[in-house]
Amino acid sequence: MSRLRSGVCLLALVLLFSGPALAHHSFGAEFDANKPITLKGVVTKVEWTNPHSHFSLDVTDDKGRTTRWVLTGYTVNALYRTGWKKDVTMKVGDTVTIFGWRARDGSNSAHAREVTFADGKKLFYGPPAGTGEGGNTPAVKVP
Amino acid sequence: MNRTLLAAIVATALGTACNSTPPTVNQETKAIASNGVPRTADGKPDLNGVWQGGNGRRGTWEEANSGLGVGGTGTDAAAPANPASQQVITDPAPYKPEAAARVLESFNKRGIDDPAGLCLPLGVPRLALVGLFPIQIVQTPTQVVILHEYMSVFRVIPLNAEHRTDVGPAYMGDSVGHWEGDTLVVDVTNFNDKGWLSGTGTFHSDALHVTERYTRVDKDQIDWVITMEDPNVLTKPWTVKTTLMLREGTRLQEYVCAENNVETAHYEKILKEGVPYRR
Repeated sequence: MSRLRSGVCLLALVLLFSGPALAHHSFGAEFDANKPITLKGVVTKVEWTNPHSHFSLDVTDDKGRTTRWVLTGYTVNALYRTGWKKDVTMKVGDTVTIFGWRARDGSNSAHAREVTFADGKKLFYGPPAGTGEGGNTPAVKVP
Repeated sequence: MNRTLLAAIVATALGTACNSTPPTVNQETKAIASNGVPRTADGKPDLNGVWQGGNGRRGTWEEANSGLGVGGTGTDAAAPANPASQQVITDPAPYKPEAAARVLESFNKRGIDDPAGLCLPLGVPRLALVGLFPIQIVQTPTQVVILHEYMSVFRVIPLNAEHRTDVGPAYMGDSVGHWEGDTLVVDVTNFNDKGWLSGTGTFHSDALHVTERYTRVDKDQIDWVITMEDPNVLTKPWTVKTTLMLREGTRLQEYVCAENNVETAHYEKILKEGVPYRR
């Protein structure tokens, strides 16, 4: 957690001096950077779409109960530039592990930062935590 | 004949130095000055190429965005974006008090009201500051065209022309340009009031006037200075100094934002259900 926290803080620091957004729009409104999550499951659906890519993951717990999660990530334009290939890199039926941050509404949804494949290879799937929400400091002085 | 043009011609004659930016309509580019700035046949700095805003690192897209960066290929998932990818030097925006309150409100709502969430063009300069997407500059002696991958938006900037008067207000405004020495100066007016300038909530009115100055300082970098004036919401001109970095080998992609924009519905759900999302 401390690693995540320091990362989020550094992100906030650099955003202090920035105007640009990293992401399409506010991941921060939809997902909570203070709720990291790691999930391992079987891919059941892949949406290779803009403005964001999505995939579904069936996660089975140690009691045999399966829960379907929906993961959100980069625009496909960024995925291509990050090393992904449509219908090749990740397919329905693949077992993957994701690291990301949960949705604020408590649903089984998360913003996936990274996907780890069965062979151990890792690729970023979405932007860092808290992106697109304006950083830690507004563009104007706070009265 | 000025020395720069002479140098360009000599370099061309020696068969040296074709830059390797993607092919464009301007194939006459031959000369590269000692500072690495190529010039077109008419002696102007050559701005042709694919560029990335919001990221001051040199190199190819992969090099500049590797590790922690945007679309990076690094290994630490919890790491933040690379600081270099966030390079914009600016002071707090000089909004009038009542306007600043509106900016702050949007910030406190984490930008849930971002026009990008509706797949709308972000305006000038913000659209090119989203470092996730490249832009392409196509330069001719009579006009400069900027192609934005993000939102698939274009800007046609005629040189030494008057602003047009036969169109209504626009997200990206109406642009005309001219050269001041080695700097391309672009004057942008006729905006609507639906875009943001640079940063969450930085709204403007339809009185916005933007002046951009593009100066290619070496092979890899264009210094981009943007001055925004809006007497309805700003107390004085707001100037942002940033860069566009050359991304050789990168080609623009199609981007259709409306394809599957489910986030808008997600935001409505958050608002309807009272999910605590504010700062």
